[in-house]
Amino acid sequence: MNPILRFLVLLLPITLCGIGIPCLSVAQAQPISSLSYQQQAIDISKVLRCPMATNQSLFESQAPIAHELKAQIFSMLEQGQSQDEIIDFMVQRYGQKIRYQPEFKASTFALWFGPLLLLVLGVGLCLALVTRRKTQTTI
Amino acid sequence: MTTMLPEIGHILLIISSVLALFSAALTLIGVKQNNAYLVGLSPTLFRAIFTSVFVSLLCLIYCFITDDFSVAYVANHSNSQLALGYKVAAVWGSHEGSMLFWIFAIALWGAIISYHIKMADCTQDKASDKYQDAQYFARLLAILALVILGFNLFLLFTSNPFARLLPNIPIEGRDLNPILQDIGLILHPPMLFLGYVGLTVCFAAALASLLGGGFNTRQINYLRPWVLLAWVFLTGGNAFGSWWAYNELGWGGWWFWDPVENASFIPWLVATALVHSLILTQHTHGFKLTTLLLCLLAFSLSLLGSFLVRSGIVQSVHAFAADPTRGMSILCLLVIFVGAALLIFALKAHHLKQDVTFALFSKETLLLLGIVILVVAAFSVLLGTFYPLIYELLDLGTLSVGAPYFNAIFVPLTFLLVLLMGIAPLVQWQIVQWQNASKTRITSLLIPSLVILAVAGRVSLQAASGSSLFLLLGTAAALWLLVCLLLTILAASGLGRRIYTRQLTQNRSEHGLNPPVKSSKQGFIAMLFAHFGVAITIIGATSVSFFEQEALLRMGPGQGKPLAGYVLVYESTENVETNSFTAIQANISIRDAANDEVILGYVRPQRQTFKSNGMEMSHAGIDHGLWRDIYVSMGLQLSDSEYLIRISYKPLASWIWLGALLMMLGGAIAAWPTRHFSYQADLTTLVNLSHHKPQETLA
Repeated sequence: MNPILRFLVLLLPITLCGIGIPCLSVAQAQPISSLSYQQQAIDISKVLRCPMATNQSLFESQAPIAHELKAQIFSMLEQGQSQDEIIDFMVQRYGQKIRYQPEFKASTFALWFGPLLLLVLGVGLCLALVTRRKTQTTI
Repeated sequence: MTTMLPEIGHILLIISSVLALFSAALTLIGVKQNNAYLVGLSPTLFRAIFTSVFVSLLCLIYCFITDDFSVAYVANHSNSQLALGYKVAAVWGSHEGSMLFWIFAIALWGAIISYHIKMADCTQDKASDKYQDAQYFARLLAILALVILGFNLFLLFTSNPFARLLPNIPIEGRDLNPILQDIGLILHPPMLFLGYVGLTVCFAAALASLLGGGFNTRQINYLRPWVLLAWVFLTGGNAFGSWWAYNELGWGGWWFWDPVENASFIPWLVATALVHSLILTQHTHGFKLTTLLLCLLAFSLSLLGSFLVRSGIVQSVHAFAADPTRGMSILCLLVIFVGAALLIFALKAHHLKQDVTFALFSKETLLLLGIVILVVAAFSVLLGTFYPLIYELLDLGTLSVGAPYFNAIFVPLTFLLVLLMGIAPLVQWQIVQWQNASKTRITSLLIPSLVILAVAGRVSLQAASGSSLFLLLGTAAALWLLVCLLLTILAASGLGRRIYTRQLTQNRSEHGLNPPVKSSKQGFIAMLFAHFGVAITIIGATSVSFFEQEALLRMGPGQGKPLAGYVLVYESTENVETNSFTAIQANISIRDAANDEVILGYVRPQRQTFKSNGMEMSHAGIDHGLWRDIYVSMGLQLSDSEYLIRISYKPLASWIWLGALLMMLGGAIAAWPTRHFSYQADLTTLVNLSHHKPQETLA
C-alpha cells in the first residue's frame, strides 16, 4: 500500500476522535432548555430503583411514589442541581438500595473487580496451558 | 371415573418414581456385572417411565380443560372464562405444573434415546459409526432416570400438582395471572424447558462417558446434536421471553437484567461455550475434560437458576411461583446432583487426559479463549445476581445491582468475544508454523479495522445521550464481525482455499500429525448464520439503546406530537371488552411529518382491568417495522379526556430478535443429521483408530 494512503488511513480515526472529544464535552455541559432537563430526568430515573414496585426503575414504574420522585428529580434539575447531588439526595432518603449502580467502596470491591479478576485468571491459565503444550505436548 | 383422574395422575407420578428408581438401580447393576439381560431391560423400563409421566401430565391437562376446581393447582391458576389455549398453557403457567412439564420433557428425550439403544444392539458391526456401546446408553438412561426420580420426589413432597381442595370445592377458579395471558406463555416456557432438558441430557451423557472412563469419537458425535438442540431451544427461550416482555409489560424495555432473566441467560452463556468446546473436541480429539465439565456446569447452572426463580429469595419483576420451603428442597437437589457429578468428575477425569499439540496462534487457542470469556461472562452475571443476597447475608446492608452494572461488565466482555469471533473462522486448525495464508488474512484485516474504528467513532458522535463509549464498542463490534464474516466467505469460496488446504495437509504429514479434519460445509454454513445473527442482534441492541427517541406527555383527543419524522395524533378513546378484561384504549394514528394527511398506521395502547381479580395492566401499542418500531404506552388518567402517554421511536428494534432467529437457524442447521456428517464421522473414526493408540478402552 502507498505510504501516503496508509498515513491518511491512520489519520482518519485520529481526526474523527479529535472532532469527537469537544462534541462530547459540549453534550455533557449544563443543559439550557427544559427539553434537555426532561431527557436528563429520564436518564436519572432509569438508574434509580422504585422504592415500591418490585425491581423496576423509577422510569418504568407506574407506582404513585415513582411519579412523585420523577417530578422531584425534574424540579431539582431545574434548581440547578447535578446528577450526583440528586442521586445522593435519593440515597439519603431511601438508602443504598435505590441505586441500580452500586456505590464503589470496600464492600463492593468483589462485585466490581470480580469479573476482571476472573478474566485475567481464565485467560492467563488458558495461555499458560497453550504455551506449555507447544513445547511439551502434555495436558 | 373422570372425577378420579387427579388421583390417577398422582398415582402415576408415584409409579414413575418407583420405576425410575428400579430402572436406574437395575441398569447400573447390570452394567457393573456385565449382565446383558439387565442392561437390555433399561430401554423398556425407561419407556414405561415416559408413559406414566406422560399420562400423568395428560390428567393434569384434562383437569384444566374440564375446570376441575377441586384440584388446588387448577383452582389457583385457571378460570372457567379462560380461552381453551390458555387453559392448556396454564398447565406450565406456574411452579407445580411447569415442574411436571419439565419431568415430562426429560422422559420424552430419554424415550427417544431408548430407541437408539436398540439400534446400537442390532448393529453388530463394531466398525460402523452407527454402532454405539450399549453400556454407554444404559448408563445415560440410568442417570436420566435418577434425575427424574429426584425431580419427582421434589414434586410429590413439596409441590404436588394434584393436591385437592376437599371438601370445600371453590365454584370458580382464581384467574391465570393476567400478565401470562398471552401467546408468549404458549411459546416461551416450553422452549426454555426443552432447552433445560437438553442440558439435562448433556449432563447425563457426560456422566455416562465419565463413568465409562472414555469419551470416544462416537460418543462425541452422538452428543453433538443434543448440545446443539439444547442451545437452539435455550436461545429461543431467551429470545421469546425478551420479545414477550417487550410487547406485554408496557415499559418499552427488552432486557432488564432481572434475576429471572439472568437465571435463563447464564445457562445460555455456558451452553454457547459448550457448543464451541464440543467443536474443539470433535476436531482435535482433545479438550474432552473441558467439554465434559461444561456439560456438568450448564446443567448445574440451570438448576441454580430454577432455585433462584422458584424460591423467591430475589425480588423480580417476573414474579413467578415463589415459596421459600421449595427453595430449600431445590437447593438439596442441586447439592446432591452437582456434588455427585463433581465427585465422579474428580475420580474419573484422569482416564480422559489426552495429548494435543497446537500452536499459540491457531483456531484452537482462539476457541479456547472464547470459551473462557463466555464462562467468565456467565460467572460475572451470576456474581451480580447473587451479590445483593450475599451482601445482605453478611449484614453489610442492602443494595441493588441493576442494568448499569451489568452493562458495564457485559458490554466489554461481548466486545472481546466479538473480536475473537471475527478472527477465529479465518484461522486454520492446528497450524504448526505461522502460515503465510493465515498471515495474509490477518494482516489484511488491519486496514478494515481502522476504517471500522473511524466509522464507529463517527457513529458514536450521533448519540442522543451522553455516554457513548458503549456505542463505540457496539458499532465497532458489529462492523468488525460483518467484515470478518465477509472475508471468511471470500477465503472459503476462492481458489486460494483449495491450494492452501493441500499445502496444510503436506505440512502436517511432514510434522507427523493427524491429517486435518475437514470442516464440514454444513458446520461452516451454520457458523455463518449464527455469527451473522449475533451481529444483527448487536446492531439492534446498540441502535435501540442509543438512538431511541422518547417523549412523555399529556395527550387527549385531537392532540398531536411530532417525533423522529412522524406525527402521532391522538384520535379517540374507546372502551374495549373481552372475555377476561375491560380496557380503555387510545386510538393513535401515525402520520408522516412531511404530509400529515397521510396515515401510515394506528397504534392502540390499552389500560386493561381484569374481571377476575381487578388487576390493572398497561398493554403497549406497537407498530412493528423492519427499520423502526413505534411504541406507545398509556399511563394514568390526568383529566376527563387526557392520559399520560409515552411515545418511543425505536430504530432497528426488531433486529434484536431477527438476530436471535438467525442464531437458532444456524444451530438447527448444525444439528440437522445428514449422510455427509455420518460419513465424516466414519472417516474420523478410522483416522482416530489408525493414528492414535486406542487409549479409551470401554469398561
